[in-house]
Amino acid sequence: MPYPILDPTGTTATATRGHQGSRALHAPRRRDLRGATVGLLVNTKQNAAPFLDEVGRLLIAEHGATGTMARTKVNFAAPAPDDLVKEMTTGCDVIITGIGDCGSCSASAVADGIAFEAAGLPAAAICSDAFRVTADAMAELRGAPGYRYATTPHPVAVLTPDQVKQRAAQVLDDVMNLLTEPE
Amino acid sequence: MTPAPDPEQAQAAIEYCYAQGWSDGLPLVPASQPLVEKFLAATSRSPDEVIGELEQVGRNCTVYLAAVNAAMAGCLPEYFPVVLAAFDALMRERAARGGGWQSTSGPAPMIVVNGPVRHELGFNTAGGAFGPGFRPNATVARAIGLIVRNAFGIRPHVLEQATQGLPGRWSICLAENEEESPWPPFAVDGGLAPGTSAVSATLLRTCEFVDNRHTPDPEHVLADVADTISRTGSLIFRDTSAGVVFCPEHAQLLADAGYTKADVQAWLMEHCGRTGADLRRAGKNGLRGIARFADADTSGDDTFTRILPSPRHVPIVVAGARNAAISMVVRVFGEWSGTAVEVST
Repeated sequence: MPYPILDPTGTTATATRGHQGSRALHAPRRRDLRGATVGLLVNTKQNAAPFLDEVGRLLIAEHGATGTMARTKVNFAAPAPDDLVKEMTTGCDVIITGIGDCGSCSASAVADGIAFEAAGLPAAAICSDAFRVTADAMAELRGAPGYRYATTPHPVAVLTPDQVKQRAAQVLDDVMNLLTEPE
Repeated sequence: MTPAPDPEQAQAAIEYCYAQGWSDGLPLVPASQPLVEKFLAATSRSPDEVIGELEQVGRNCTVYLAAVNAAMAGCLPEYFPVVLAAFDALMRERAARGGGWQSTSGPAPMIVVNGPVRHELGFNTAGGAFGPGFRPNATVARAIGLIVRNAFGIRPHVLEQATQGLPGRWSICLAENEEESPWPPFAVDGGLAPGTSAVSATLLRTCEFVDNRHTPDPEHVLADVADTISRTGSLIFRDTSAGVVFCPEHAQLLADAGYTKADVQAWLMEHCGRTGADLRRAGKNGLRGIARFADADTSGDDTFTRILPSPRHVPIVVAGARNAAISMVVRVFGEWSGTAVEVST
């Protein structure tokens, strides 16, 4: 064949930028959360704020965290802007991000988790279990294949306030396992 | 006489493209360097120019990659300036620059072509406006889909999370029926001079027909359109955006009764909406931020809530044949940029 068939993806040329090829990122884990400030990065999806608030409350009540710092993403579809990552990295010891409950926001919740890991903070992203594939794909794009995050059963948006609290309680062990490494 | 191409080689090349994961499900034209060079020769833009970037996935699209995908979509090289203009127009949409391609709603681009380029390239400007059957309309729309899939890397079931998608995704490219429209071309609404070859684009959630062919009363037609625009299933935010692709007959009936496009938009803005009771029945009577949700019982509430905030939220296009009074409500995903892009070679 005189000519090769051309590749329409550009992935072997110059179009792929930034994230691929960097090493898997994983910040050092704490032994526990005593005295820790927990950053809550809320993505504005329905029930995300009460869900993360309750996770924060439980980490204070049951695991000795001292407080929370909640911030809201302006654009749920995109990863958190650098200045927000910097502000939360300065003010917090660990990060919870979520709830990944749509095509773009699940991927970006995981991207945020990886960004905080790169900045040195243990992070736990929480996604609806309907979006595992897209969350995993984003982890791979960010150079962190196999990046671990917590899931909660789909759907999240229709839960009542009490059900949101139950879900937060159910995911708490997974969040602790993601954030800490007891000796 | 040139011998017919070897079908087995053609089949092998098509299967090769499938095996690489490049196809949208239909056969691709295998792109070669000489073919893509013809595309690049159809534009003065540099092959390295970046025409779109999706920061969250670390991918971009260059003129070169667009050319490869347009060739694979089945475009002729001379269509390429229209593909580039369509892509530029889409990149003016906030949703298309953000998470729109990954969305569970699986939105479809709607591309509208205006001006002399429609006839120069053989676009269908008459019956069957939403397709299929015409190479320029079909392949320009398909090229955009392949760019999203291949250059941006947004593939179904992976980074693309459409719950059901919608009919017409990657296949809606209307050439406006300017010859039978009583109103200025759509590209004029997008800020360009009449007679300009231009492309406008936005993203759609769906298309819904309005068949109303037995009344001479323009308000009957508008009321029928308003009822379709106002259905609760599509109301998810405080504001909504719904365009109308009028058939020539409806457009002419309205124009003959004295309606300009602005009059039609104003009429629809005034009459599209629902009562509190209707919204309550569908669990959409409350607002949290800009999102509708189920609030306290307002079943006795007959307050009329309007849903279209501005004329830009009601884009109006004229397309199709003159043979029946059937128009289409097009449900916009997000909101139209309100601008058109000139086709330049």
